[in-house]
Amino acid sequence: MHALAQVPFLAQLATKEEILQHQYEFLSYGLAAAWVVLAVYVLMMVGRERKLKREIAGLRAMLEEKQK
Amino acid sequence: MREKVLYILGAAALVILAWNTIAISRLPEETQQGVTFKIIFFHVPMWICAMTAACAAFLASVGFLVTKNFKFDAAAVAVTEVGLAFTSAGLVTGSIWGREIWGIWWTWDARLTSALVCWLLYAGYLMLRKAVEDPTQRATFAAVFSIFAFIDVPIVIFSIKWWRTQHPAPVFWAGGSFPPDWSFHFRWNVLAMMMLGVVMVAIRLRQEDAQREIDSLRRTAHAL
Repeated sequence: MHALAQVPFLAQLATKEEILQHQYEFLSYGLAAAWVVLAVYVLMMVGRERKLKREIAGLRAMLEEKQK
Repeated sequence: MREKVLYILGAAALVILAWNTIAISRLPEETQQGVTFKIIFFHVPMWICAMTAACAAFLASVGFLVTKNFKFDAAAVAVTEVGLAFTSAGLVTGSIWGREIWGIWWTWDARLTSALVCWLLYAGYLMLRKAVEDPTQRATFAAVFSIFAFIDVPIVIFSIKWWRTQHPAPVFWAGGSFPPDWSFHFRWNVLAMMMLGVVMVAIRLRQEDAQREIDSLRRTAHAL
């Protein structure tokens, strides 16, 4: 039995290749999930930046009109 | 100029992360955990960034209460938000590692519970800011709450030393060991994520400046 099969969750998998494939799958899920979390945050920041810029432009235009 | 520096820093961080991910994938399997162990190269740097952000938020909050300077308040909210993003990513990677190695997504041991409490506290901090209208009151309440929330940070860090937890014991300190050639890649990942964090905080700070400008323009419009 491969040493990794001593890990309880992996004990049901028979060969080293199966274990490796399963582990690579989980590793890629882990990395993808982490980067998705950070990417979602970055996208939220980009959206907020656009909203703030629009708001500043709108207020400046309103002020210019009021001062005329 | 400042914008260019930020873009360069962000691009450099992404290049380092891409190069390092390839290098890490070529490292041999760990004896006990196999390939899944390699999540540590991302999970721990994310938590280092999150805990650094929490420390920075604490210092900025104390700075605001002492000086009443709103730049400290802006810094506190910026680092807290970025820190919360890293905390979320750290929780997710940890949970996926746990599913593979323990066979469960979550357990209520001291490290995981204190980490979740940390996430809830800093999410609460951001919600509190949205609930208070007056800027001075908002900044003061938020600073006090942030200092209170910081109590959980040493508990998160030292829980694996103070108590017997299902979470693994320290690998990088308190007698833990990590192969030197693996440490090299680990340190590069810490550096790259810190660089990403700095870029995100700088962008968030710029947004706080823009928000202050909006508040000022609104006051002017109201006065006219």
